[in-house]
Amino acid sequence: MNKMPADISTNKTKLIRLPKDSNITRLFLTLVAIVIVAIVLKPHNFPSTSNIESIMKQLVEYGLMAFAVGITMISGGIDLSTVYIANMSGIVAGIYMRTFISPEASLSEQLMVSLVAMLIGILIGALCGIFNGILVAHFNIPAMLATLGTFQLFMGISVVISGGTTISRIPGPFTTIGNYRIFGFVPIAFVIFIIIAILLSVMMSRTKFGTRIYLVGTNAKSSKFAGINNKAVLIKVYMLAGILSSIAGLISLARVNSAKADFGSSYTMTGILIVVLGGVNPNGGFGSMTGVALAVVVLQVLSSLLNMFQNISNYYRDLIWGVALIGVLILNYMISNGKIRKLKKKN
Amino acid sequence: MNHFSIKKITKQTEFYVFLIIVALSLLIQFRSGQFFTNNNIVDLMRSMVVPSMYAICAFLAFVSTGPDVSFPLIAALSSYATIVISLNIGYKGPVIWLYVLAGVFGLLMGAFNGFILVKYKFPALIVTLGTSAIFSGVLFGVLKARRMELPSTMLEFGKSSILTVKNADSGLGSQLPSTILILVGLYIVTYLVLNYTIVGRGVYAIGGDEVSAERAGFNVKMIRFGVFCANGVVASIAGMTYSSMTQFALPNEFSGAEMTVIAAIILGGTRITGGVGTLKGTLLGTFLIVMVANSLILLGIPVYWQRVFTGLIIIVGTAISVRKSSGSVKKSLKAEVTSK
Repeated sequence: MNKMPADISTNKTKLIRLPKDSNITRLFLTLVAIVIVAIVLKPHNFPSTSNIESIMKQLVEYGLMAFAVGITMISGGIDLSTVYIANMSGIVAGIYMRTFISPEASLSEQLMVSLVAMLIGILIGALCGIFNGILVAHFNIPAMLATLGTFQLFMGISVVISGGTTISRIPGPFTTIGNYRIFGFVPIAFVIFIIIAILLSVMMSRTKFGTRIYLVGTNAKSSKFAGINNKAVLIKVYMLAGILSSIAGLISLARVNSAKADFGSSYTMTGILIVVLGGVNPNGGFGSMTGVALAVVVLQVLSSLLNMFQNISNYYRDLIWGVALIGVLILNYMISNGKIRKLKKKN
Repeated sequence: MNHFSIKKITKQTEFYVFLIIVALSLLIQFRSGQFFTNNNIVDLMRSMVVPSMYAICAFLAFVSTGPDVSFPLIAALSSYATIVISLNIGYKGPVIWLYVLAGVFGLLMGAFNGFILVKYKFPALIVTLGTSAIFSGVLFGVLKARRMELPSTMLEFGKSSILTVKNADSGLGSQLPSTILILVGLYIVTYLVLNYTIVGRGVYAIGGDEVSAERAGFNVKMIRFGVFCANGVVASIAGMTYSSMTQFALPNEFSGAEMTVIAAIILGGTRITGGVGTLKGTLLGTFLIVMVANSLILLGIPVYWQRVFTGLIIIVGTAISVRKSSGSVKKSLKAEVTSK
């Protein structure tokens, strides 16, 4: 079987894909397995309400950024600037609230200002995303490089805006609402995450726009000949990624009550890891948002299990993530290779 | 006749980078009067040493395969492990053997990258992101890395200099470290291998068009594997040099270097889709980035603007180099990039 030239085999892996469901089933089984192991190992701590609550709370920010990386990757690119878009939105919204909310104002007035601040934050995300999109679509800069550049740029702008300091102690009802728990248990941020996950899944699988993203990601040339305006699609994709990142930034602002230009720089790596774990093809064109959402949950559950062992240093997580990333890639490769072999036998 | 050669020069990215460098340095000189001073030039050369070594890694990876982002952590892990071992056995001998030991560690890590890339053909960015997470886990989790003193031989080596200058006006002195000799050596070896050996031409060939390279008789797998092994060794040399020059083992200071270095080599004309690039451009691109980072203070611009400028330079630089490529190249490039 090894006589088959390697390049043909990779072409085939592109053509013959696993049905999307099998990847999701696998992720789901992994999740169940991890949860069972966790309950067996830590029967008192793991299933506790406080732990489940913290799992729900912590996954939201990088989960949203993983969605952003996911849709750009499906469109054939990547977004490395998500974390810094998030930070910039958080910083600007934070500064806006600190400047315009006076403690004497009535609650409804404070609420209005907070709302405007959030809109400004999301607008900034959209603008940053459009900028990325223009660089990728109109200037033909490879997405990795374009967002590498804008990541420096956005971070730099955030540093300049914030003067390099941490924007903290956000006044008004913003943090209270952001940390509100429905039924005293489900964080509102998690609800937002679920809603966005459902919206994105529907968008990717059931709308014209979603199908176009897949087409552009699979083969930009043919999608162009199919009459799709690649440039417009790409700009919208990056804008959406920017908006998702800025929502993550606002949620983080509410959670930790502060924002800084270089917050959470490791999330870039986590985002890519989640997306690949979730079954998105790094070459573009394949993957589903449900898979990404499941991968987010898997990663957070695993990470909070690891946190329960005091003697395991946090840094082991890096090691585990790295092994998981490469392991999943190899596993997917072997499974799709097995499928090819079966198909060849049939023929 | 002259006309033709000028035309040829103006087609090269390196030429434009060179022009930008000249213009910027004149601007800085004009604004501050401090650029063309002996201590500033020596300082710049000093700051060039480690980034230029990294640039070789990024350059070789891009020309042959794709982005490698693992070299800072290979540098950190190999140098830290070497330092720990030499402190534990109380090593007092010449520094070269420490470099060799680090080189072996680097070689192993590079081979790990190379093995996965050759065997499974995953995108280089994703694989090296994964392996750098693994290396960082080993470094901080298993070895519990932290700031540490260096063995005495490395301290002495890092302090030694081949040239000391003193600015007569400002009284500021600066030293050219001996580590720059390693840099020069690395560039000469890489240049000779790339341009005068079959393997070296193969590095370009497999990055340009893998299938044709294979048909032309190049052993694509071996060359790619070799490139990543070499990258590991160069990264470990850079790690040892960085530690020697900062006079401490600072494992936390390594990561993050990959982004600026990649930016530097792309500015220098290395094509992101592989097969095109020169060491000259690599050096010029690195010099430009280092110069911007070092000279903003001379221009009176607050340090926190530095990232804005680096980002802008990357964006404008890459946009120009993509624009510059001719129509057909641009089209195939775009198709390749979007399909990748």
